[in-house]
Amino acid sequence: MVNAIKGLLISCDVPMAQFIVNLNASLPASQRFIVHMLDSTHMFVQPHVAEMIRSKIAEFRDQNTYEKPA
Amino acid sequence: MAGDGERGRPSKKLKISSKSPQIVEDDDIGHYADDFDEDSREEERDTKKRDFTKLELKPDHANRPLWACADGRIFLETFSSLYKQAYDFLIAIAEPVCRPESMHEYNLTPHSLYAAVSVGLETETIISVLNKLSKTKLPREMIDFIHASTANYGKVKLVLKKNRYFVESPFPEVLKTLLRDEGIARARITPENSQGGEAFTISRTAGEIEGGHEELLNGAEFAAAAEEKETHSFEIDPSQVENVKQRCLPNALNFPMLEEYDFRNDTVNPDLNMELKPQAQPRPYQEKSLSKMFGNGRARSGIIVLPCGAGKSLVGVSAACRIKKSCLCLATNAVSVDQWAFQFKLWSTIRDDQISRFTSDNKEKFRGMAGVVVTTYNMVAFGGKRSEDSEKIIEEIRNREWGLLLMDEVHVVPAHMFRKVISITKSHCKLGLTATLVREDERITDLNFLIGPKLYEANWLDLVKGGFIANVQCAEVWCPMTKEFFAEYLKKENSKKKQALYVMNPNKFRACEFLIRFHEQQRGDKIIVFSDNLFALTAYAMKLRKPMIYGATSHQERTRILHAFKNSPDVNTIFLSKVGDNSIDIPEANVIIQISSHAGSRRQEAQRLGRILRAKGRLQDRMAGGKEEYNAFFYSLVSTDTQEMYYSTKRQQFLIDQGYSFKIITSLPPPDSGADLSYHSLDEQLDLLSKLLSAGDDAVGLEQLEEDQDGMALQKHRRYAISMSTLSGASGMVYMEYTTGKHKQGGQVKSKPKDPSKRHHLFKKRFQS
Repeated sequence: MVNAIKGLLISCDVPMAQFIVNLNASLPASQRFIVHMLDSTHMFVQPHVAEMIRSKIAEFRDQNTYEKPA
Repeated sequence: MAGDGERGRPSKKLKISSKSPQIVEDDDIGHYADDFDEDSREEERDTKKRDFTKLELKPDHANRPLWACADGRIFLETFSSLYKQAYDFLIAIAEPVCRPESMHEYNLTPHSLYAAVSVGLETETIISVLNKLSKTKLPREMIDFIHASTANYGKVKLVLKKNRYFVESPFPEVLKTLLRDEGIARARITPENSQGGEAFTISRTAGEIEGGHEELLNGAEFAAAAEEKETHSFEIDPSQVENVKQRCLPNALNFPMLEEYDFRNDTVNPDLNMELKPQAQPRPYQEKSLSKMFGNGRARSGIIVLPCGAGKSLVGVSAACRIKKSCLCLATNAVSVDQWAFQFKLWSTIRDDQISRFTSDNKEKFRGMAGVVVTTYNMVAFGGKRSEDSEKIIEEIRNREWGLLLMDEVHVVPAHMFRKVISITKSHCKLGLTATLVREDERITDLNFLIGPKLYEANWLDLVKGGFIANVQCAEVWCPMTKEFFAEYLKKENSKKKQALYVMNPNKFRACEFLIRFHEQQRGDKIIVFSDNLFALTAYAMKLRKPMIYGATSHQERTRILHAFKNSPDVNTIFLSKVGDNSIDIPEANVIIQISSHAGSRRQEAQRLGRILRAKGRLQDRMAGGKEEYNAFFYSLVSTDTQEMYYSTKRQQFLIDQGYSFKIITSLPPPDSGADLSYHSLDEQLDLLSKLLSAGDDAVGLEQLEEDQDGMALQKHRRYAISMSTLSGASGMVYMEYTTGKHKQGGQVKSKPKDPSKRHHLFKKRFQS
């Protein structure tokens, strides 16, 4: 019997994959969203988390970016 | 016209409140209303949108080099034929903000105008020259601002003549104002023959003879400048000088004093017979900076800013040679003390017995009536108990009157230490030298009043073009984090180890190793690797088998390693912690690789770059025919996706403002370099990671340098925080040189302060300082 799950394939670089894994691990078990890690740059996740991941990554990147005060 | 009013500029607000519309000229009404309009809106919009379309262009604007804006900013075109003259003038009156290749930005500030007045420029001269150079009609705001800022500056001078302090001014009414202040009136010494308090001594001095700007002025102004002037003065009590100076600061009476030393007429202090040697040829910019200092035959106190490697020591030595009095030279550490002593001997005809060094392990007595003493800030400011020898020498320093107090690297010394040094030593004239007048704590402005205004600042790119300093290629190498390291980096429990994790990133290590190999083998360069993180420093140096120097390395050891680096063909790379940032003179080095740094410190970045700025003479030998485009390299290795990216960008700001650009390199080491470089296999990487994670939080942190690491404290008693078992000998002795990991601190405990929160509550009180 084959089980089909609807989801999202994320393809990114190695550090960002780790970031998403870490994000996933920091959530309570019920909210974890990674369905399967395919390899170190691809993963299969729940369909509804795309926006959340995007905003978290944007936030993370902002922290690491210096902008010269005007 | 719209959009002024930021940067603490009081002029506009004043204008609005004090000026009634009737006296505003016709064309002014327009932007008067504008100003008002802008004001009522939020600040944010104000700074973002600046509309200068209302500025009126002069008909021959193409020949004029600069744009002056109402908010105090001035833009200079460096391709103009008048660039050189305009630059010399602007650097005297305004603060450089950003100086890329073809367009410079300057900012008029009260401090910069104070400096301008102190080198002898007058309000009217500033305005007329600025007007001549500007493409547009000078905005009224700017004229008002210059008037407001210079009205009181430079009116009063503090002069040391024949060892008596005089307050001097061409305006008797200003002196009267000063004397109305109680503190100053008390400090005044009234000469016996005059009864009333109102009479001032009147003397005549030759007016300013200032080279450089005259060609821009017309004849009449020039004649006025050279005319003789009457000056009025009264004497004050030497012990009250500090008080009087304080009373005159802008926050009190607002007549900041200029300090000048009439050294030619000083017959009390013995002369020191020293001249520049004939082969010492000051370069044009060195001449220029000295001419600002000795503008009217007297010596002014102030700061000269030259990039590292541009020959600050020659400026210092020349200044000492002109004054020809006893000179006290302060440096930051023992190594640079040796270098200064050497520079004095190299450039001047001073006899060996007239120069003495005073450091914790080298206490030379002074001989003779006048001489040069080279020492460190810490030795002078040290507050604790001294040995008998040094107590004697300090006493001597205290009692002597110094013609010149020469202060190297003034930007590093905290203000309180300066106050102490300045209060201990009695000097007629103070000269501060530095390359980077920036501090992250913005304490730079303190220097204005502690030493004096900035007399001269050189443009880095002009010196590069002139071939006086090396042409450096700056590069930022992006090293992606490996999977395992990044995973650890993200974990909350590793927050204290974040820095260690991104510094020890195996990809970074490989990039570093690749660069070292490339420069050593392909180009025969001499390389310095900088790391602030001690754990990384030791790990890298051990793995690559290179010598390293850090805080605990003894003076002898340092000298030995540096000597080997300079002379031996086998030692081409050294690892330095932040002790190497300032004034370790390593002219041979031409490559810097920076693997970790002190957060976002712009000064550190510039100082490190300075280690390789000295122009290299080997250029021709290395390449048979042609000149290389770049002869020095500055690599900053950055782990991507980490905090380091943030710091790295911030650190570069100062250099970018000087006109440097950073090239970004993403593919280092090249993908085909496999197992030649370390940490190729995953096992090795994991091994490194586990070592890193098992090390204590203290061991992987930043190096904590003691404030006075070269002071006597290092040699004498020191209070350590060590465990009971170490005291009783229960913990094994681990020797410093070849330790790894967490026992690093075991043998020779650097007094790294323990995390205060972990300290036993009984001791917390004692260590609060």
